[in-house]
Amino acid sequence: MSEFMQLDAKAPATLGAVVEAVTRLSTLGEAKILELVSAGKIADLFPFKPAGDQPIPSDTVAEEELVEASASSLNRKEREALIQSSLPATAPKKYRPRTVSKR
Amino acid sequence: MPRRFARSAPSKVDKRRRVDIRVTHMAASDALWWDTRLGPKHASMAGRADRYWSWSMLLPLCHLVQRAKRRYCRPLVFWARADSGRFLRVGMLIVIEAYPYLDVEHPADSHFVWFMSGADAGLLTTEFGMSNPPALGRVLLDSAIVLSQNAGLAGRIGLHAAAAGGDGLLAVYDRFGLIRLPTVAPLPPSVRRPNDGRFFYADEPVAEGLAAALDASR
Repeated sequence: MSEFMQLDAKAPATLGAVVEAVTRLSTLGEAKILELVSAGKIADLFPFKPAGDQPIPSDTVAEEELVEASASSLNRKEREALIQSSLPATAPKKYRPRTVSKR
Repeated sequence: MPRRFARSAPSKVDKRRRVDIRVTHMAASDALWWDTRLGPKHASMAGRADRYWSWSMLLPLCHLVQRAKRRYCRPLVFWARADSGRFLRVGMLIVIEAYPYLDVEHPADSHFVWFMSGADAGLLTTEFGMSNPPALGRVLLDSAIVLSQNAGLAGRIGLHAAAAGGDGLLAVYDRFGLIRLPTVAPLPPSVRRPNDGRFFYADEPVAEGLAAALDASR
């Protein structure tokens, strides 16, 4: 769970921890989660730490760089993209474990 | 025609002045920026209900928890024009779509404002070159109402005022014109917690009144 951002299907321990944490949080009401977050205690239940090597975006952007959100309902594909964008980008290739290639 | 999000808000410094606002979807990089550039400063402000919020954690958490409940979240970022003419992040909002309406006398779906945060106005001025930080509270709530209306939920929304916000936060939502759920009122069964008197909601007429008041700024 502490490596949530590196979640991958081949890491059953990580996946198991994620499922456990989410299942537990899902038993709580939204107001209770808000209370835990406000008290700074949510990390006890959802110990996700964002990767420290992610570049911090610039403070400001030009108007033409902004992709404005639609106020209409999203379709399934748009929802999936939104969820995907909530996860930090995966580590650059140079940080990934090397695999031995067969000749 | 569906309503659009508001594209301007009054300045906190000079109410006659309008500040350009733009709304985008929230990505991990937005949460990272907020946590890095504003989070440490907000954390030192004792009166802020959001002083311990980590958006980098909240963003995936909200999606995951609501997906487990077969609901979707809509996380949004609010940008305002700084003195340079460029746009700066000034507000964050996470809305849960199709949430049980808090008024159980009228069973229906609504949108639920889960996490809502505006950057400290003083910080925006002193550290980010924004002489006219926007008054953002109404715009954030309006966005939830507009999403609800456009989703066919007639603008119905609900929220819970974080206990960390104390009486001051209750007064803010009262002032905005939201209806406070009486402490004796039952909550929808799936909300699964006692009513602590800090729940607010907008019914259809209240929502329409609030949205119409901002129509000129869309």
